[in-house]
Amino acid sequence: MAKDARDNWESPTQFVLACVSYAVGLGNVWRFPYLCQMHGGGGFLIPYLLMLLLEGVPLFYLELAIGQKMRLGSIGAWTAISPYLGGIGLASVVTSMYLCLYYNIINAWSFWYLFHSFQSVLPWAACPVNSNRTGPMEECEKASPTQYFFYRETLNISPSIEKNGGIQTGQALCFLLAWVITYLFIIRGVKSTGKVVYFTATFPYVVLFIYLIRGMTLHGALNGVKYMFTPKMEELANPTTWINAATQIFFSLGLGFGSLIAFASYNQYHNNFERQAIIVSLINSGTSIFASIVTFAIYGFKATINYENCLDRTRILLLNSFNLAEDSITINNVFEMIEKLNTTFPEQFAELSNKLEDCSLENELSTAVEGAGLAFIVYSEAIKNMPLSQLWSVLYFFMLLMLGMGSMLGNITAITTPLRDFKFLSHVSNEIVKNIRNRIFLQSKYFGKSFCVMLVVFKGLLPKLICTNTTFFYNIAGALQAKIK
Amino acid sequence: MWSSCVRTRSMLSPTTLCVCNEKTALSFLKIWFMLQYEWNRNQRFLFQAAIAFAMSHHLDLEFNVSNILVCDETPRVSFWFVVTSPDDPSRLVGKESVELAVRASRSRINNILLLNDATLEFIGVLPTLAAPVKPATPSWLIVFGVVIGIIGAGIVFLLVSTVVQKKRYVDDDEEAQMKRMAGNEGICNTSFSECDRNTQM
Repeated sequence: MAKDARDNWESPTQFVLACVSYAVGLGNVWRFPYLCQMHGGGGFLIPYLLMLLLEGVPLFYLELAIGQKMRLGSIGAWTAISPYLGGIGLASVVTSMYLCLYYNIINAWSFWYLFHSFQSVLPWAACPVNSNRTGPMEECEKASPTQYFFYRETLNISPSIEKNGGIQTGQALCFLLAWVITYLFIIRGVKSTGKVVYFTATFPYVVLFIYLIRGMTLHGALNGVKYMFTPKMEELANPTTWINAATQIFFSLGLGFGSLIAFASYNQYHNNFERQAIIVSLINSGTSIFASIVTFAIYGFKATINYENCLDRTRILLLNSFNLAEDSITINNVFEMIEKLNTTFPEQFAELSNKLEDCSLENELSTAVEGAGLAFIVYSEAIKNMPLSQLWSVLYFFMLLMLGMGSMLGNITAITTPLRDFKFLSHVSNEIVKNIRNRIFLQSKYFGKSFCVMLVVFKGLLPKLICTNTTFFYNIAGALQAKIK
Repeated sequence: MWSSCVRTRSMLSPTTLCVCNEKTALSFLKIWFMLQYEWNRNQRFLFQAAIAFAMSHHLDLEFNVSNILVCDETPRVSFWFVVTSPDDPSRLVGKESVELAVRASRSRINNILLLNDATLEFIGVLPTLAAPVKPATPSWLIVFGVVIGIIGAGIVFLLVSTVVQKKRYVDDDEEAQMKRMAGNEGICNTSFSECDRNTQM
């Protein structure tokens, strides 16, 4: 048996599932619904699908081509095309390293929430009691229980990025667990990754489907779905819409990070990646749309609940101030009664005016949230209102975990594959290399949320630079491919 | 309802009126029932009994139902009430001690009336919420321990199996390898250092 025979995926299905697992990540769940809402609902699908056709599928196809034909990681593949282009491969490895550092923190948050779901009362369902035991904590009452749980009990966030808040033990433990699990998944290279992706690629769809059924049957869900799909075509004239569509396709498919090259390098030489590229891209976009339907059903539910709570608080306020019988005001006639009371008791009503809230379903629906705020605050708020909330919470955070872990596999493989290609490192046992690298990564536990946000915003710059250069050189790649064939 | 007030009024000195306004607010406590509660004479009696119990419990004096006066009831089911001293019906018990008594026995009063802190409000009296239950080990730590234990066991198992496999491969010397391959086809010529069936490209 040749010593340097390359590892291979056990079947093309494993490769496809690995690509799906990598591409379908947290961005599909928390970025795409936000973009849809911001850029005119159903109308956003037009630039999105156009960009998929023009930018997404071709680049995806080309990356798979390079990887499969060169059978090397990103550094080796680019160097093979031209020695001057090796820097692109190196840049993508460095970018993947930065990505790995902060991406696992999000997995750590998912673990934290998952472990806290195994309680009779979800900890983010109600504010904790203050020290006098006379009421909820002041900080929590000013915000909401879910926000308090995320920012105070999970992150213990410091007032600004300059202030160092110290290490949170709970978070550090969850972070350690996230890295240990990642190590377990990549310990045997594609042999172990290939088995893991069967689960990480398929389980999120199971949960999304369950949530679709649950979401659609929730009270007020259709408000959200209707809101999302009502197209606002004037948004298409806004160039930001098109830029965001292009960026979303780029990041959603994970182009330019070297992961796809790495995955494809473990393919059989004559694997039909053309069809697989189209399949994976379509699955990724389809998942984004599917997830946004679920998200908007949940949004609609949450907005309706908040709206009805607001009406109820207004009702109680009116009943108490005017000493009316309990059934004289119901939720349905709150607004009429406001009018009536305003005309009959103007002075008393004027006293109330600063306490009276402005209840509007439109306002509740239009508060669009993205990112960690959506996944960990808005969703957990919706979940706590569902019956049997512990079950839904466990399912949801386990799904987030699978999405995050799947993407992590791709990122890590993007780093280990080029390193393995270097001859001097292949002598060292694979496990040890990964072990050392993991220990280095564990140092990134000092990163907090502000750093995460900063890195998310800026990580895009480097691959974008890569992409603009590579599209020029992709012609060369195409010519090379023709030569090889 | 005014009739009971008038009746008690005749028992009291003229200066003590069953009129609930800002002047007499020092002695009166206002409460609200925040749900559809059937309010009639019997319910009022139950309420008075509950307050009498709370006062007796707190001050160690014997209060009677007639010592609790309820007035100014509204359809909202909110009213003022005042507590008179058992020894001297014309003297009112101060608001602070009534507040303390209610605070101490709040959960009992709630349960007697089948209400809770959200549906029965004593204006000015803050509820004492139940202390949070703190288990010995936080429950999340237990789940964390289980998961990391399983993962750790998995890693150890995989590492050990790799080592064992490598040992088995190394221990197999040339002869064993040859025997394995002899079963397939031909004999491997050991004059070559590496019996490589595949040619390098």
